[in-house]
Amino acid sequence: MSSIKQNPGLYRIVVTHYVVAALCFFTLAVMMLFSVQAFTGHYFHPQILAITHMAALGWGTMIIFGASYQLVPVVLETELYSEKLAWISFSLFLPGMIALVYSFWIFIPGIHMQCGAVLLLTAVILFTVNVYLTAKKKKQQTIQEDFIFSACLCLCFTAVLGAALVFNFTIPIFAQDQLHFLKIHAHLGIAGWFLLMIIGVSSKLVPMFLVSSYQKTRLLSFSYYLIVSALLLFLADSYFSGLNYRTYFIALIGAAGLACYLLFIVKCFLSRMRKKVDLPMMSTFFSFILLKVAVLTIPFIIYYHLKNNPVSIRYSLIYGVLLFMGWITALILGQTFKTLPFIVWVKHYEHLTGKLKTPMPSDLFKNSLLKIQSAGFIIFCLTFIPGCFFMSQPLLYAGIGALLVTAVMYLANVFIILFHKTKTYGKL
Amino acid sequence: MENFDITDHLSFMKAEILETLRLVMDPELHVNIIDLGLVYGVKIDEPEKQINIEMTLSSSYCPMGESILSAVKNCIEGHYAGFTANVELVWEPVWSYHNITEEGKKLLGI
Repeated sequence: MSSIKQNPGLYRIVVTHYVVAALCFFTLAVMMLFSVQAFTGHYFHPQILAITHMAALGWGTMIIFGASYQLVPVVLETELYSEKLAWISFSLFLPGMIALVYSFWIFIPGIHMQCGAVLLLTAVILFTVNVYLTAKKKKQQTIQEDFIFSACLCLCFTAVLGAALVFNFTIPIFAQDQLHFLKIHAHLGIAGWFLLMIIGVSSKLVPMFLVSSYQKTRLLSFSYYLIVSALLLFLADSYFSGLNYRTYFIALIGAAGLACYLLFIVKCFLSRMRKKVDLPMMSTFFSFILLKVAVLTIPFIIYYHLKNNPVSIRYSLIYGVLLFMGWITALILGQTFKTLPFIVWVKHYEHLTGKLKTPMPSDLFKNSLLKIQSAGFIIFCLTFIPGCFFMSQPLLYAGIGALLVTAVMYLANVFIILFHKTKTYGKL
Repeated sequence: MENFDITDHLSFMKAEILETLRLVMDPELHVNIIDLGLVYGVKIDEPEKQINIEMTLSSSYCPMGESILSAVKNCIEGHYAGFTANVELVWEPVWSYHNITEEGKKLLGI
C-alpha cells in the first residue's frame, strides 16, 4: 500500500509549489488585464507569449511539479527518490520562469531570455531524473508509469526546443521561421507533457476520489498508444510539411486516444459508489469538457489554415485559451481542493485520528469561496472565449474581471488551508 | 464481518469493538469504516491483552490509507485501556461495493 507519507521536508516542497503557483495564477490574471488589445491580434505577440509561458510554466507546470512530488510516489507505490533534487529543480525553475516571462513581456531576446531558458531546461531535466529514479525503485510496471515518464520526456524535449527557439532569436539555428517550430514546441508541451501527465495521474486519482469499481486499464493502454502515435506523427509530418491534409488524419488518431481516456473517465463515473459529486470533482469534469471543445477546434484551424484564411488565427488563439485557461486551469482549480486539504490534514491530524474528533479534509477550506471561485471561472469561460473569437473588448474585460475574482478566491482559499490551526472537538 | 457467537465469552467485547470502530471515519467519504465494510475481523488475545483487527481499504492506492490504519489503532487503544491494538491490512477478499452495509449505502446516497 502507498499513502500520503508526511515528512516535513516533502511537505515544504509540495506546499511551496502550490503557493508559488497560486501567486502565478493571480499574476497571470493581472497580466491578461493589461493585454486585452493583444488578444484581438495574432498569437505570436510578446504579451501573449509572456502570458502563455506564465500559464504553462508558472501555473500549470509549477502545480504539477508540486503535486507530482506528493502524488507520483502514491501512484507508483514507492517513495520520492530525492527531496534535495526537487529543491534544486525548484530553485532553478522559478528564476528561469520569471526571466523568460519578463523577457517575453518586454520582448528583449537577449541574455536574460537565454539564461531563463537554460535554467528552465536544467530544472525540467532534474525533475525528470527525480521521477525516473523514483519509478526505478518500483518492480511492477503499469500504464500510469508509461504515461508519467513519457510526459517527463516530452517536457524535456519541449524545453530543449523552447531554449533553441529563444537562442534562434539572436543566433540563427533553424532554416525555417519561428512559427514553424512554435507548433511543434506547443504540441510537445500540450499533448506530450500536460496531456500525458494529467492522464497518468488522474487515471489513478479520479477512480479513487469517486470510489469507482471500474478497474480495467485496457482503454488507458489504447489511449496511450494512440496519443503517443498521433504526437510522433504530428511532430514528423509538421516538421517536414507543415499543416496539410494529413494533419486531419493525425488529429483524428489523437482525438481517438483522448476519447478512450474520456470513456475510461465516464466508466469510472458511472460505476462510482459515491453518488454525490462535490464541487472540486465537478470542476474536474468541466475541465474534460473544455479539453474536448479545444480538440473540436482543431479541424477548423487546419481548414482555415489550408485556405490561407486569417480566421485560423482566431481559432488557434481560442484553442490555446481553451487548453491553458480552460482545461488546465479548471482541472487545477478543482484538484487543488482534493489534494492540498489532504496533505495539510495529514500533517495536522494523522496522529489524532481515532483519539479525538477532528475536522475532515474538506473542512479545511471555505466552501463559500470555492463557490464564488467556480462561478467566476464559468463567467470567465462564457465571456472571454467568445471575446477572443469576436475580438470584443467589453467581453474580454468582463472575462478577465471574472478571472481576477477566481484568482483572488483561489489564493485566499489556498492560504486558508495552509494557515489552518489544529482544532479538535473533544474525545471520541 | 464478524458473526456473533453466544458461546464465545469474548463475543460481547468483539461486538463492542466493532461498534467503537464506527467512530473511525473515511476522511474522503465521510462514512465510518464499519459501514464501508472495511473491517474483516476482530480477534482478542485476552492473556496477551492484544486486539487484532483485520481490515482492508477501498483502494490499494488510497492516499489516506496510513491515516485510517493509525486511526483504528488509536481508537482501540484509547477505548480499551491496557490493550494494545494490532491492525493487519489484507487485500483478500478484495473489497467491493457489496461490502457496504445498507446504512453505508444510504450515507453514500446509493
